[in-house]
Amino acid sequence: MRWLHALRARAGAWLRPGARDRETETEIAHHLRVEAERLERAGLTPDDAARIAVERFGDPIAIAESTRAARGGRALEGSMQDVAYAWRALRTQWRFTVIALITLALGIGATTAAFAVLDTVVLRPLPYRDADRLVFLQEVTDRRTLNPPSYPNFADWRDRAVSFEGVASAMFPSSATVRASASDDAERIVWMGVSRRLFQTLGLTLAAGREFTDAETSPGGPQVVMVSYEFWQAQMHGRLPLGTIVFGGDPVEVVGVTPARFQFMTAADVFLAHDRFPGTCRTCRNYMVVGRLRPGATIASARAEMTTLAAAMKARYGDDTAAAGADVTDLREYVVGDYRSLLGIVFGAAALVLLVACTNLLTAQLARGWVREREMLVRASLGASRSRLIRQLLVEHVLLVAAGTLVGVGVAAALTRVVATVGAGQLPRLQDVAIDARILLFAMAASVVTVVGAGLGPALRLSRPGAAGALRSARGTATTIRASWWRVLAGFEVALAVALSVGSILLVRTVNNIMHADAGFDPRELLTASITPSEHDAAHLEDAREALAALPGVEGVAYTTRLPLSWGANSGPVRRRTDPMGPTWPAMAGFRMVSSDYFGVVKQPVLRGRAFSPADGAHAPLVAIVTPGIASALWPGEDPVGKTIATNYLTDEWLTVVGVVAEASNWAQPKGRQNEIFVPYAQHLHALPGQNQIVAMIRTSASPEALTSPARASLRRSMPESAATFRTMEDRIARTAADRRFAMAAVTGFAAIALVLAAVGIYGVFGYVVATQSRDIGVRLALGATPGLVRRGVLEGAAAIAGIGCGAGAIAALAASRYLQASLFEVSRRDPATYAASITVVTAAVLLGAWVPARRASAVDPLVAMRIE
Amino acid sequence: MLPDSDPLIPGTFEMLILKALSLGPIHGWGVAERIERLSGGVCGIQQGAVYPALQRLLLKGWVTSRWKDSDHNRRARYYRLTASGTRQLASEVDRWRRATGGVDRVLRASPQAS
Repeated sequence: MRWLHALRARAGAWLRPGARDRETETEIAHHLRVEAERLERAGLTPDDAARIAVERFGDPIAIAESTRAARGGRALEGSMQDVAYAWRALRTQWRFTVIALITLALGIGATTAAFAVLDTVVLRPLPYRDADRLVFLQEVTDRRTLNPPSYPNFADWRDRAVSFEGVASAMFPSSATVRASASDDAERIVWMGVSRRLFQTLGLTLAAGREFTDAETSPGGPQVVMVSYEFWQAQMHGRLPLGTIVFGGDPVEVVGVTPARFQFMTAADVFLAHDRFPGTCRTCRNYMVVGRLRPGATIASARAEMTTLAAAMKARYGDDTAAAGADVTDLREYVVGDYRSLLGIVFGAAALVLLVACTNLLTAQLARGWVREREMLVRASLGASRSRLIRQLLVEHVLLVAAGTLVGVGVAAALTRVVATVGAGQLPRLQDVAIDARILLFAMAASVVTVVGAGLGPALRLSRPGAAGALRSARGTATTIRASWWRVLAGFEVALAVALSVGSILLVRTVNNIMHADAGFDPRELLTASITPSEHDAAHLEDAREALAALPGVEGVAYTTRLPLSWGANSGPVRRRTDPMGPTWPAMAGFRMVSSDYFGVVKQPVLRGRAFSPADGAHAPLVAIVTPGIASALWPGEDPVGKTIATNYLTDEWLTVVGVVAEASNWAQPKGRQNEIFVPYAQHLHALPGQNQIVAMIRTSASPEALTSPARASLRRSMPESAATFRTMEDRIARTAADRRFAMAAVTGFAAIALVLAAVGIYGVFGYVVATQSRDIGVRLALGATPGLVRRGVLEGAAAIAGIGCGAGAIAALAASRYLQASLFEVSRRDPATYAASITVVTAAVLLGAWVPARRASAVDPLVAMRIE
Repeated sequence: MLPDSDPLIPGTFEMLILKALSLGPIHGWGVAERIERLSGGVCGIQQGAVYPALQRLLLKGWVTSRWKDSDHNRRARYYRLTASGTRQLASEVDRWRRATGGVDRVLRASPQAS
């Protein structure tokens, strides 16, 4: 029956811990009273009797505690007590607590926010059913470049490939104006042509209505449209039945509504069935093709089939198709693959901040050692076991980290909200970033790492009996071996700060270089208006231009069919008369139609020949202006002026080169500079109606922002049916580097945090060193050392740490910047000035951190210092 | 601990408590007092140490306790030996006797006997 007794005793302890404690206290009180009475009877004074009774009994609190320990149930009760102790300890040392909390909140907040961005943009599956079965299909040219397929190639793939349950496509989005009903105002919207069964292939359920039927996706079928959920809500007020909208001047029936937030590569408002007008040009490149793998098919097997299929098609169509092969890529990889490395770098930088935060916490914990060790000594002598002490310190630490994590998650939530607002549309899916269960799980993992990384070590060390014994010596002389340990930690922090600030400076310079890159023209004081002219308004382009030019503050207005610097899929082959219509081209180039005064308005220098003039009209010889890249590829060493070229964009029209203009650097992709061909649009008016967009470039004499609203008003008067987006050219350039700007802002923020933390860490270390050595310093001062000498000693110590830390950090940065290489623009990752700047800043921060303790050291009063114990 | 007492021989404390209780139920102070008095002040203990030890004996089931009014109308917790506690005491005393007897015989040995 022994186990029954044991069970009852233990259960009692669990169930009524407080009652058991009170019993023990009553027992002890009774004992002391009885003993004191006995001693009084033996002739002692009541005071002496009470004192000696306690002496013979032992420390009542310690006895009560070990009685409780012996009774069992200590895990639960002890934990509550530990929490109470920890709470008291943290409150008493509130300065430490506040600094530790801020450190933790920054470290965990930064890392969590960075993970949230990485997760949302890169890691999460795309929002389609069984998204891992979806693949992106592209043409592979014989130069091994990837291109969007043409309609005939897409149709052949769809009809012949067996690896897929479905193959569907969408066109690149275009702008148009619609009216939600005949009485509404014209709204500028983005429309996208989609193929038969695109939504079925993606595995999406529509919010209302249905997808296009086979009849509606056949040539000559009825014209109907689908709309986005957002358009349905905002413009059509969620009406049912869906009714009709006015699109391109005609009422068309709306048959379906996409799911909320639907986007395929980009968002669009209205969807048309592009199969009604199947493209016939097999060398064109304008469809985004997605396939859903059949069960059992893999990307590798699909790629093998597609390669064979494309080879057969190449054999059949020869030069009529540019596709020598076909590529099958995981859809998510295609959408976000480009961002993985850059966001990985941001996340890595955040992790370094957490590492610095841990290190800081570690040094701060150790710095408290000389306070805590005495407490530990006292508690150990009261009978607290080592495991009990470790547990208590860990509880304290866990409490701290838990609070820090809580604040950190708050910081992360605020950060992600800012990122989602500012970054929406700049990186894919960024607008969806938020703190959810997955992110919270990550934050918890990060805090566990922090507990283990920064808490276990000090707890083990502090609770070591020897450590407590060593502290028996007076506080003034308790210099320990630990100081060297901390120098290592502080040096580590310095190294991390250097590595982070190198990354930050490299990115700042990259973004700066992009903003000041040679665009080939002058992007300053240039307002752009991207216009979608309705058929009626297209006839008034010239009136609109004159009205804009008449505005005060406007120096000139020119039109172009594409925004400058908008590299995209629209680069096509260029050939000379002597070049056969073969599969290889001597040069590829973008293509734009511009008004005759374009180069003057955007200030793009003419390097050779002449600019366009009004004389280059409909009946004059066809002319073109090229960039130097084309000239040197086609006619190396010769004067290109007077030569003739042809492009895919104007089939069978031979253009005479009349000039060469400056070209732009290309920072969007690591491909060097951008070739372009310009033609005067007056000579190609028949091609204009096919253009759904025209851009007015407005040169201003003052701030282009200020001109936005008068320009908008003017345009509304001259072209009432056409919507337009205004943006300054510099703003548009900034958007082309959005990914790098995001990384720059994040890494720079992290570097700043790391710098501050490193300075605080140094402050902590030298604060400790000075505090523990105040007696030695007092002796040195008494022996004739000057305060200046003492101060210099401390600063020299800090400088030594800075030196070693900076060295290590520079080496680390040299190694790690490899991952940054691809994102940099016109700055070497080994750029010496960057490293020098980073080392200077960090060293200054370190010396600043050491300055206060140094001052304190030199202010030590020798007499006071030596009198302490 | 009395000034002229020796620390306990390790491992004997619980046996002494069981023995003290075998003389009749008593509260914690009484246990400490009996051990000191019966040893003639030789077995020095810190009085408070009996309480954790009594808890251990309670858990093992060798001892039970109940609250009673003591002499001066105070509530006190009285400890009493259980049957298994009595058996435990007997076996510990037996072991102690054998051990000390052996040690004693060794210590009594003279040069002729070896």
